[in-house]
Amino acid sequence: MFAVPLLSLLIFLPLGGGLLALACGARVRAARGTALVVSLVELGLTSGLLALAGSPQAGQGAWLLSESRAWLPALGIQYALGLDGVSLLLVLLTALLQVLCVLVSWRQIDERPGLYYLLLLLMQTGVNGLFLAQDLFLFYLFWELQLIPMFFLVGMWGHERRVFASFKLVLFTLAGSLMLLLGILGLYAAHGAQSGTYTFSLAALAAAPPAANIQGWLMAAMLIGFAVKVPLVPLHTWLPEAHTQAPTAGSVLLAGVLLKTGAYAIFRVALPVLPSAAALAAPVLVGLALAGVFYAAWIARAQRDLKRLVAYSSITHLGLVVLGLAAWNLMSVSGAVLQMINHGLSTSALFILAGLLQQRLDSRSLEDMGGLWTAMPRFSAFFLFFAMASLGLPGLNNFVGELLVLLGTYRAYPAAAVAGFVGLAVGVMYVLKMVQATIFGPAQPGPPPPDLNGREALILGVLAVAVLFIGLHPGPVLELIEGPVKALMSPGQQVALAIFQP
Amino acid sequence: MLEGWPVIAPHAILALCGGLIFCLGAFWQRRPSGLLWWLALAASLAAGLAALGGPVSATYQGMLDVGLYGRLFTALIALVCLLALLLLKRYAALRGFAGEELYGLMLLAGLGMALTAGAAHWLIFFLGLELLSICLYILLAMRKGSSESTEAGLKYFILGAVASALVVFGIALIYAAGGSMLIAPSLAAASGTGHGALTLLGLGLVLTGLAFKLSLAPLHVWTPDVYQGAPAPITAFLAAGSKAAVMAVLVRLCALMPGNLWTYWVLALWGLAALTMLATNLSALREERVKRLLAYSSAAQMGYLLMALVGARYGGLVSALFFLCAYALMDLGVFGLVTVLSPHDGDLNRLDELRGLSRRHPWLAACLALCLLSLAGMPPTGGFVGKLFLFTSVLKAGYPVLALLGALAAAMAFYYYFKLVAVMYMGEPSGEPAPSGPKPAAGAAEALALAVIAVALLWLGVFPAWLHGLAGAAVATLGG
Repeated sequence: MFAVPLLSLLIFLPLGGGLLALACGARVRAARGTALVVSLVELGLTSGLLALAGSPQAGQGAWLLSESRAWLPALGIQYALGLDGVSLLLVLLTALLQVLCVLVSWRQIDERPGLYYLLLLLMQTGVNGLFLAQDLFLFYLFWELQLIPMFFLVGMWGHERRVFASFKLVLFTLAGSLMLLLGILGLYAAHGAQSGTYTFSLAALAAAPPAANIQGWLMAAMLIGFAVKVPLVPLHTWLPEAHTQAPTAGSVLLAGVLLKTGAYAIFRVALPVLPSAAALAAPVLVGLALAGVFYAAWIARAQRDLKRLVAYSSITHLGLVVLGLAAWNLMSVSGAVLQMINHGLSTSALFILAGLLQQRLDSRSLEDMGGLWTAMPRFSAFFLFFAMASLGLPGLNNFVGELLVLLGTYRAYPAAAVAGFVGLAVGVMYVLKMVQATIFGPAQPGPPPPDLNGREALILGVLAVAVLFIGLHPGPVLELIEGPVKALMSPGQQVALAIFQP
Repeated sequence: MLEGWPVIAPHAILALCGGLIFCLGAFWQRRPSGLLWWLALAASLAAGLAALGGPVSATYQGMLDVGLYGRLFTALIALVCLLALLLLKRYAALRGFAGEELYGLMLLAGLGMALTAGAAHWLIFFLGLELLSICLYILLAMRKGSSESTEAGLKYFILGAVASALVVFGIALIYAAGGSMLIAPSLAAASGTGHGALTLLGLGLVLTGLAFKLSLAPLHVWTPDVYQGAPAPITAFLAAGSKAAVMAVLVRLCALMPGNLWTYWVLALWGLAALTMLATNLSALREERVKRLLAYSSAAQMGYLLMALVGARYGGLVSALFFLCAYALMDLGVFGLVTVLSPHDGDLNRLDELRGLSRRHPWLAACLALCLLSLAGMPPTGGFVGKLFLFTSVLKAGYPVLALLGALAAAMAFYYYFKLVAVMYMGEPSGEPAPSGPKPAAGAAEALALAVIAVALLWLGVFPAWLHGLAGAAVATLGG
């Protein structure tokens, strides 16, 4: 339908731009200028795709755009991409955060800027590819690809314990992805042995799932891979380290985008292609998700390090996302997908705020903060706003998502939904503590740190508008989400998934 | 008598040019080592082209496979020779061992590898194996006056001699049982009655000899010592070339193995694969010296490769061939970079010497990182696609436990590959410059070789279909 392979362009434009930035070498201005232009073009391109969302087939959950080419026909591997409402939203979120990340790094990164921006943009290539891939082989390729830039970003531009953190990140996630690989290849082999055609196509695999006794193993292998990434307790321990040590842009992309890939994969790959195992896995997922909600919220309360606190809050939020996915009905899954976007917006904002504060105070410790309301009113207003968003204040984005998830979950697992509500209440404690310790209370001695400048206010302003928009008028976004979710739960699959329905 | 000789042109070129180089070196007063190098380079290039473009025939006199399979390997080995020669030039000249012995032996070793890989006759196989081993014994000890180098040569020689003895005894048993020295009929004979056990015993002995050459556990213990002591570009040549040649034989045996022996054969492969993957990776975890670490890594890669052979009946041989090509490039790459980065009075040794490399030599560091990531199996490299093929075959064949062990081993391997990458990119450069010698730099020849390797690895990662197709066609000619 399009002469230009738009989806490939979406994926490889950042890579091209990154290589251009690398060519700028040590010239900071040129490198970051290139990165900004490329990520703005990418954002423009992605926003342009929103126009497609109005088309009639959007509501049906059909692909808005797709591409397919033979890649390794001998093994049934295709270069197949597809864009629906959910992937569009996630690609859009990535593009938006990418622009903000370049802006956040504006004055922060002056060491080896070319390489830095290459890695930043390379990650976008990997993530976009992952969100668009419709072939499991391709999916796995991009899944692995997005990890390498993060390893370097954390290890080279991070804080004190950066090398340790980057190692932990890479070892956890790669070990997880090897299990995922076994799951994917096992599925490929089982499907091939059963149907006679060996293919990695997601649609074909979902259409004819393997025998139930194999599905359990495959699901276990895949879920280990995905759970590390989400992260689900107890595979989460890499996350606080990585988040705390990463440079601000790294934390933003990690929280905003990379964690989403795990939840997205559960949504797009694990549950649809292994329906009968999904029924078995759902209670486990519910349990782990709730454990994460409580455990992380409780741990977050005790943190003295601002970034660490926000990192633990991420685990809480993603626990809720997984809860929604595991309940597997239209409402809960739509809420979970919306919550992925929401978490990307509000937590990224909190990480940006923490990064700005660290630049000014040279500390992430809550003990060194306090009384910022008087010294930095603009900063504090934003901080309070995003903290409230994270808390789930009605009128802001998280409220909508959390409500949908919990209401949807209530239909499948009433007790779990009630527990989820209680978990949110625990969450209130750490948010209040965080707000209390930073912007209220007695001010620290010494000269007050400077307030936000125009660039910083712009970054946060954009995020604030997005948060408010979803909070007050979630309809259009939910419409984009519901089509694909319905399609995944199409009648053919509804039968297999009936066990989920109350 | 010489009928059909153009099909063995690659072998003839290597043999004749090898001999010519020896003669030129002997009769010239001042050794024209530059000229000899060019000659050797031209010979390996010509051999490669002849293998790619020569006339097609199934076998030469029934003894040597010059069909697609043999030619593919001959071309690969010619490429390995070519790249090793490019890497070797400056290194050997600076350390004073460039000369006719070096280049002549390289070509003869290449000939030995090509004969081994293409052998359709047990005798050709044994001749090839001996030729390649004897040349390598000398090449490994090439740095005269370096006790490490001498030790490497001696160690490889003593163990290699034992391995040769096992192989030749194994061949004798197979012949006794099957009544043919041709590989395919001798194996086919075992599918009938009676002599299966004797053939199996012979094959076991051959496999033991091959396992030594491929550094499969528990016969891998020589690997770190030999790799450590040998001059780095020779290590590259050994790691890439001899492994490729010997693996070619193993792939051929797997293709020809009759069903009644396959049951036992696959059991042996299963055990060797599992043991190799775990033992080598565990040893590598504790290793702090670069060349030894890479030696363990190259042994571990052979373990992964063996996994594919276990799945031989399910497309595993094609996977193995693809991975072998990628592996040859990766190992040439890492040892090539060790060559370039080595100080003049020794080889790169401690991990510390790589600290902060990305600042001092961004291109070399990037190239090394690419090769390491490929070894670790990260996209978008040939190593990634290759490893995926391996795991696919083993799972298709229905060996999930082996695949799980492989995944476990690969997870361990991530640690040391990323450790090397981290030292280069995240280690602060130490205050003082590199411990000794002038600043390492890549000459034109080395830079060319490294660039070829890097581009080829990326190419294989993004467009694997052509090589996969070629490997498929080549395996099909084996009649397995």
